[in-house]
Amino acid sequence: MSLQPFFLWMQEHAFSAYILNETWFSPIVQVMHLIALAVFAGAILVVDLRLLGVGLTRVPLAKVSEDAMPWMVWGLVALLITGWPSVMSTAMKQYYSPFFWWKMELLVLGLIFAFTVRRRLASMDEAKLGPVWPKAAGMFSIAVWTGVAVGARLIGLLS
Amino acid sequence: MRSWFEWVGAMESSVALRESLNAYPIMLTSHVIGMCMFAGLIMMMDLRLAGVGNLNSSITQVQQRLFPWQMVGFTISIVTGLLLLWSDPMRFYSNFYFWTKNLLLILAGLNMWYFHATTYQTVDQWDNDPSPPFGAKVAGVLSIAFAG
Repeated sequence: MSLQPFFLWMQEHAFSAYILNETWFSPIVQVMHLIALAVFAGAILVVDLRLLGVGLTRVPLAKVSEDAMPWMVWGLVALLITGWPSVMSTAMKQYYSPFFWWKMELLVLGLIFAFTVRRRLASMDEAKLGPVWPKAAGMFSIAVWTGVAVGARLIGLLS
Repeated sequence: MRSWFEWVGAMESSVALRESLNAYPIMLTSHVIGMCMFAGLIMMMDLRLAGVGNLNSSITQVQQRLFPWQMVGFTISIVTGLLLLWSDPMRFYSNFYFWTKNLLLILAGLNMWYFHATTYQTVDQWDNDPSPPFGAKVAGVLSIAFAG
């Protein structure tokens, strides 16, 4: 099944035309996307650093994770809402950009990991976890999200 | 000021960076990654100062233990940012937002410095309070505003 008809539909939607015609719509939404990104990236990184055994080490891992969770979730919601207009108004460019799909696939992988393995690990008793698994999870998470950022930046530069 | 920007733009290293096919994507992507790290961890500290996030951690824990990582992000951003400026100074010279951004960066720095010199001096007394003094909240909110 090809998603091309869906992307074509988005591109030709009246909302896309509105976004492209309004000078200030895209810049404002993109600035909001970046602010949401700071919240989301911070909430991810503060837990990843803790998993690596640095950062907020005097606070139990489960507490750091619990504190970061709402900011991660609401940061993500804000990112999706503010990212949507950009995808819609440039849908065909996105569809044909390998970096868009790179970004989206890694994004899904990062989210699945964050809400399953990483969340479980962060809620477990640290003494029982041993030193290896939290570090592996922290490194994996940082690698995936860095990949998302690289893909995201390259959509604008190389497609 | 203009002649200084022109002088850099005419330098061999600036021309080489500008004409390189890969330099720009690499510099810009690294700049974004440094920014995610810096802005993200600053945001986590600001949320704690504002009394709305990371409340299981004390203020000093957040301040002292995130600081080195904020500085890693800051260094990546500054180095790649200066390289970007170096590669095409005239493009930035005539850009209003370039100057606005740098002014706001300076204001964010002053906000940080003022907070450390005043309210933060008594941190021992409110380190574990979920809701820190008004001065700390102002510093946290201003910091988010300048970064935004």
